[in-house]
Amino acid sequence: MSILYVLIPLALLVLGIAVWAFFWAVGSGQFDDLDTPAMRIVLDDDSRPADDSQ
Amino acid sequence: MTDTAACFHCALPVLGQRYAVRIDGHARTVCCPGCKAVAELIRDSGMARYYTLRDAPEPGRVRPEDDAGEWQVFNRRDMLTAFASTSGGKTAATIYVGGMYCTACGWLIETTLRAVPGVIEVEVNPLTHRLRSLIDARRVGLGDLLATLARLGYRPQPLAPESKATPELSEQRTALKRLLVASLGMMQAMMFAVALYAGEFSGISADMERFLRLVSFFVTTPVVGYSARPFFAGAVRGIRSRHPGMDVPVAIAIAAAYAASVWSTFYDGPAVWYDSVTMFVFFLSVGRFLEMRARHRSIDQRTALSSILPNTVSRIRHGSETRIPASQLVAGDRVRIRAGEAIPADGRLLEGRTSVDQALLNGESRPLAKAPGDTLLAGSINLDAPILLAVSRTGADTALGTISRLSDRARYARPSLVRVADRIASHLVAALLLVAVLVAAGWSLIAAERAFEITLSVLVVTCPCALALATPAAFAAASTRLAQQRLLVTRGDAMEAMSRATHVVFDKTGTLTRGLPRIVATRAFTEAADAETLTAIAAAIEAASTHPLARAFAAIDTSCQAIDVESLVGQGIVGTVDGKRYRLGRRAYAAPAASASGDEQPWPSGPSVYIGDGESLLGVFVLADEPRVDAAETLAALRSMGLKVSLISGDRQAAVARTARELGIDAFSAECTPQDKLEYLTELQADGAIVVMIGDGINDAPVLAGADASIAPAHAALLAQTSADVIMLGERLRPVVTAIETARRTRRIVAQNLGWAIGYNVTALPLAVAGLVPPWLAAIGMSFSSLIVVLNALRLSRAGRTDRAVAA
Repeated sequence: MSILYVLIPLALLVLGIAVWAFFWAVGSGQFDDLDTPAMRIVLDDDSRPADDSQ
Repeated sequence: MTDTAACFHCALPVLGQRYAVRIDGHARTVCCPGCKAVAELIRDSGMARYYTLRDAPEPGRVRPEDDAGEWQVFNRRDMLTAFASTSGGKTAATIYVGGMYCTACGWLIETTLRAVPGVIEVEVNPLTHRLRSLIDARRVGLGDLLATLARLGYRPQPLAPESKATPELSEQRTALKRLLVASLGMMQAMMFAVALYAGEFSGISADMERFLRLVSFFVTTPVVGYSARPFFAGAVRGIRSRHPGMDVPVAIAIAAAYAASVWSTFYDGPAVWYDSVTMFVFFLSVGRFLEMRARHRSIDQRTALSSILPNTVSRIRHGSETRIPASQLVAGDRVRIRAGEAIPADGRLLEGRTSVDQALLNGESRPLAKAPGDTLLAGSINLDAPILLAVSRTGADTALGTISRLSDRARYARPSLVRVADRIASHLVAALLLVAVLVAAGWSLIAAERAFEITLSVLVVTCPCALALATPAAFAAASTRLAQQRLLVTRGDAMEAMSRATHVVFDKTGTLTRGLPRIVATRAFTEAADAETLTAIAAAIEAASTHPLARAFAAIDTSCQAIDVESLVGQGIVGTVDGKRYRLGRRAYAAPAASASGDEQPWPSGPSVYIGDGESLLGVFVLADEPRVDAAETLAALRSMGLKVSLISGDRQAAVARTARELGIDAFSAECTPQDKLEYLTELQADGAIVVMIGDGINDAPVLAGADASIAPAHAALLAQTSADVIMLGERLRPVVTAIETARRTRRIVAQNLGWAIGYNVTALPLAVAGLVPPWLAAIGMSFSSLIVVLNALRLSRAGRTDRAVAA
């Protein structure tokens, strides 16, 4: 069980890195728009004007 | 008239002439040339999927403005310095895009603009309605971007460069960070808590237990210190202003549980509650986050004001006319305003006779005639003829700005309803803490070695979790329910006010009525033409008019064709139908020669349009503003719920009295200024009434802000929307009833929840005080109690059967 004394602090370290990464992402504006990115995967296909209008 | 189709593009009912567009092989009906042009533009750029992907639009939200040609002025060099910043050949500009309402709009805008040569990058944020663009200024101008947006049917507005993120954006960023810390902290604390609980049953070494507690302490501390900070700040504010709200018991619960756990961790106490603390903070943060997102959907004050005013104006200086952005206008400038344009600033009319539409400003449904020397107000629409205006006040100094300030003040002075639930909860928490202290003191005298364990059991068993969750859980569930019913709640405490409402006050123009004139009576004076023929002729001629009264004729299908149509300022309109010249308008204009004899018989009151051939009077149309289809039904439902209904309007006495009579409203007040409306409200409130206000005009903004709860329809002026607590989507009034009903149900659920939580605490407390409840049982009891409260609240988010029938 003494392995836990190593693993748990290690897990906390990873947690710290995750929080730091998220803060950085929020700060650089990646989470400013919470709605559009979810739609974008559906929307962005390369249909050329000619495909739809004819 | 009731079977009108909705426009395929903007969803407004199609009146009169129809226009067709072929999209994806289907012929679609649209309401106007503007919508047709936009729909074709969207189709031809290969983005017809916009129509299948977008949310159902609010009628008229995306209807294009009539003049899209105003934007060239922004292509000038000096505009780039005012509205953009250039570095290294790339120019960055921020544009506010009005009318954007869903993510498909963002996609449409981005894809269209990226196809414009010279555009390097475009990024749209639907949350803030802002578009950030990076362009090559040598190949494309700012004005071209604006013109493209306007052609798509949006209302763009260039913004001065902003270095910082908007307040909403930074608020959302902070809230997101707090939420993430709380959620990660909760997951970790929960994991260690499971280990600790397992250890409780199957045995655990004292060292490992101490270690796990210490680790839990490390993951919980950021949650309490960072994520829960808004609750502590709110509690401090509440205590300082002597209105302790929800935050006080919440903060006490978090602080007490955390402090007890920390003590346990470092002094080997019997148990820790880190898991409860983090879970509590996480769920509350989720609730706050959702409420914040709803609030952000309503738009900021500054944008609300400027969206009413034109973007550019024609300024006349030293005899030459230049187009400049309206924001650069100063007092003393002379401005030329064409027919159909909005008046950009308060001022005096110098040249030209015209009439103006002030419906948004004061609820007056009839256009007002203006002659040189008269005062014109910013935000009203110049209807008939080009005029020259001497600007006297701009921006915040205008009458429009004053109304905006008045609504700020009213919001500040709004009587604060301390939630009953909160009051009970905070008293109870105080009582429980007192009991805990007494228990600790008592047991340390009787059996000092058990004192701590029993005190903790008392604290855990009576944990105000269920109490604290009782109200927010119910409110969150109710907001979800209302959103499904197309009602957006932007302020949580409006629910409490609505549930206790005694009076419902309506505005007239645009709220109870549709704000569109309708022909209520037609009469022919001669044998030459009967009423039906006259109507057809009038409809053909009025089709070319932009006058607000002309819209009454738009719903009529006419087989006549009018040619040579001319409109005369403040008089009427003239046109030729079947070779004959007809005049429509004021009586004196329609037939100047006819004597004012015997046709003033009893007649429905209201604005009238006369038709004549220049010599004799042929007929008259009496117009009135039509009540919404479900107005009478809604009012009846409100009355049957025991609410008093009244009507206040800025419109003239006769028009208001007529609507009141039609709908059976006894209490009404006409010709009110925004100040009058606010006074009427304050008087009601002074008599102890709790008032729900429903209005849509700029002149309603102060009274919406001052009412205990307020609802604005989605088509309302933005200033009214920002002042309202609930935004009602759709064309009907019925949601008002749904909102109040749901608020009442919410209150019942809150009462049940509080009853349960208090009942549980009162039953468990004596047992815990007597030392009969071990801490682990107390923890189970507490979680169970919270769970019941949350499940009960969730009943609200399920629509009842009757509601579904109403929504359908």
